[in-house]
Amino acid sequence: MLEVKNLMVFFENALAINDLSLEVKAGEFVGIFGSNSAGKTTLMNTIAGLTLHKQYREQRKGGERITIVGKILLDGEDIMLIKPDYRVKKGIVLCRERHPVFKDNTVHENLLLGGYLRNGREVKESIEFVYDLFPALDRLKGRKSGLLSGGEQEMLAIGMALVARPRLLLMDEPLLGLSPAMQQEVVRAVKRLSQEGLTILLSEQYARPIMPLIDRGYVIENGTLIVTGTGEELMDNPEVKAAYFGM
Amino acid sequence: MTSSVLIFGLVNSAILMLTALGFSLIFGLSGVANLAHGAIYLSSGYVAWIFLNSLGLPYFLAVPLTIVAAGLLGAAIYWLVIMRVRGLGLSEVIATFAVGVAILEFFRWMGFVTYEFNLPVLIKGSLDISGVSVDYQRLVIVGVGILMAALLWLFAHHTKIGLALRGMAQDEYTALSLGIDSDWAAALSMALGSAIAALAAVVTLPLGIISINLGYEVLIMALAVTVLGGLESITGLVVGALLLGFARTVTGTYFDPKWMEVVYLIALVLVLAVKPSGLFGKYKELEERV
Ligand SMILES: Nc1ncnc2c1ncn2[C@@H]1O[C@H](COP(=O)(O)OP(=O)(O)OP(=O)(O)O)[C@@H](O)[C@H]1O
Ligand SMILES: [Mg+2]
Repeated sequence: MLEVKNLMVFFENALAINDLSLEVKAGEFVGIFGSNSAGKTTLMNTIAGLTLHKQYREQRKGGERITIVGKILLDGEDIMLIKPDYRVKKGIVLCRERHPVFKDNTVHENLLLGGYLRNGREVKESIEFVYDLFPALDRLKGRKSGLLSGGEQEMLAIGMALVARPRLLLMDEPLLGLSPAMQQEVVRAVKRLSQEGLTILLSEQYARPIMPLIDRGYVIENGTLIVTGTGEELMDNPEVKAAYFGM
Repeated sequence: MTSSVLIFGLVNSAILMLTALGFSLIFGLSGVANLAHGAIYLSSGYVAWIFLNSLGLPYFLAVPLTIVAAGLLGAAIYWLVIMRVRGLGLSEVIATFAVGVAILEFFRWMGFVTYEFNLPVLIKGSLDISGVSVDYQRLVIVGVGILMAALLWLFAHHTKIGLALRGMAQDEYTALSLGIDSDWAAALSMALGSAIAALAAVVTLPLGIISINLGYEVLIMALAVTVLGGLESITGLVVGALLLGFARTVTGTYFDPKWMEVVYLIALVLVLAVKPSGLFGKYKELEERV
């Protein structure tokens, strides 16, 4: 479904993604693992088109020089130069890191906004699905989302992405800053989504709860691919063990 | 005396709110402090005048056309000027101010400098309210003011596009990641805000003569109301307009009418000095931009 080929992203002269290639097949659950500033967010934002948007924006006002080279293919079609909203239309939806939600709006309004590009019936269906996936959100639907806890906001951010009806769901560090109980809740949801057939590309620094679930994974450092393999292969890899499981 | 202060205070507040509404909407939704606001307001007055007098269009055609034209002008200003400096706060302010001056001076150059330009009222005549004679146009202004505030509130809270624009205002990248186009949203806010400025012009300008300097005065009025009421909240805007409207009326009635225009500036300075986020504002953005 998604193919990234020899991707390089520069911020001015600093290389954030270095000659990275990866693939996500339909129905797969693929993980990207890396420590702080490994390039996870840059990769996710580049696939979702946000880096392209920023590049244009900066270019227009003569700001930071951002360079993106390589290929990003969705079902064989090159989407490198496609604007973010069209990528959403094509089914690539990103749930950004640090659970950004629209804080002045209620939980329900946030979910409605997630369905901005979808029709009324689809939005209604998806919101029902989200409330079923995260019953906590159903109870909080009238609450201003700025008043939610970090974990609740993460559930809401995932919910918003789901109402956008992704074919490929990108999740950037969904476990960041959550309590162990909340992490379990999110992992349970991700597992269910994957089992129901959704294609997922998830980046995480905290690999322990995710690695056992994935079909394949990529470990990156400083924007460069270090190892790749199935979940079991990665968990058996001595380097990965040392870095992510402290063994 | 008291009833006249009450009635004209209310009318003045409605005028202030209507003239500030477009400016506040654009700032709240797209973060652009549109200093061309006064120019858009005033040029709508002249455009309406041209439609009515030079082209001889009937009132009920001229007014909607003027409002649409102002909306297109607003969107054009976004695409041609603001988009290029988007995100550079100071450049946005300078660019929109320059566009405003250019528009106003264009009308001056075209010869719209004499005192012959005025717009017709919607309904002629006046009404006696507890001994005070109020002309229908002033009542129309109050009605339109209330209606617009209510409509905008509904639009912002209960329509998909309104929600999307507010979302974009809160967090651009998240809105983008859900498929909302940021330039489209900002251009739409500019169009809406400008159309509202035109509506304000068409209903308030019949009270007097149209003159170029009004463009600058209206900008100051809009800034004063918006700074006083804080941004992004229609409630703040209404309260800001009421405070200034009554302050203005009281000044004119009990002190000296020549102080009426100064009230705005005093209010602006006081609020910026004492509570820069406005009486109801959560955000401290405008004073950083202006
Ligand atoms: N807009 C930018 N300008 C300059 N450098 C940037 C920009 N965005 C990211 N970088 C740099 O690119 C590198 C990768 O950053 P990125 O945010 O992708 O890492 P990450 O893996 O998501 O890290 P974290 O786990 O902390 O979220 C970092 O060195 C970062 O400083
Ligand atoms: Mg990151």
